[in-house]
Amino acid sequence: MTEKTFSRDVDNLSEIYQFVEDLMSASDIDASVRFPIHLAMEELFVNLVTYNPGARRDILVEVEIANQGVKITITDQDAAEFDVTQQRGVDTSASLKERKPGGLGLHLIQHMVDTLEYDYRDGRSKIRFSKEPESHDV
Amino acid sequence: MFEINLAESGDVVCRGRLDAAQSEKAEAFMGSLSVNSTLDFEHLEYISSAGLAILLKTQKRLSASGAALRIVNVNKHIYDIFRYSGFNAIFEIETL
Repeated sequence: MTEKTFSRDVDNLSEIYQFVEDLMSASDIDASVRFPIHLAMEELFVNLVTYNPGARRDILVEVEIANQGVKITITDQDAAEFDVTQQRGVDTSASLKERKPGGLGLHLIQHMVDTLEYDYRDGRSKIRFSKEPESHDV
Repeated sequence: MFEINLAESGDVVCRGRLDAAQSEKAEAFMGSLSVNSTLDFEHLEYISSAGLAILLKTQKRLSASGAALRIVNVNKHIYDIFRYSGFNAIFEIETL
């Protein structure tokens, strides 16, 4: 397990990407895992930062790599309660006219990672997600 | 890193990673489009929901005047994102 904290700033996305990418590259993780992991990492970090602007404490990211799969835990000690595992009712079959920008982030995560868990207690949220290589899914 | 510019061919070429930190740059450029436009994603490695929101907003704006975005050279991972988002039904998309 490798961990690092990041201040609550969307401009830190490139630093977060590099932190996770370096660990996955070192273990030769397949692209079918890397892409969903980066996507989930960004969407969840941006949500924590954007929807709780008064918060100040850094966000902890823990990365665990085993058997070519990746597990990430994001801990926010200064979080508003927001269950990321809940369906948000995005209608992806709506016509262009009916579609509204926004709301796709959680929808994508829920489809693209293998597991997604949320735990909220006394202002602390812990989000865990994981992805295994596609070839292991069959 | 993310770059967006107009190629000599008239296509809009996107490179790098279009994440939430880069969405302002993308939105400023896409806001200047007013006719049918082709986005070349051959060198775009990654897109998140922040980028999708800009594409959707642009497509809606252009459609009001009968124009549209066409997206070409889309890699497998970005196409998966489009598919899960239902974008394959509202954009003309060509994969790599």
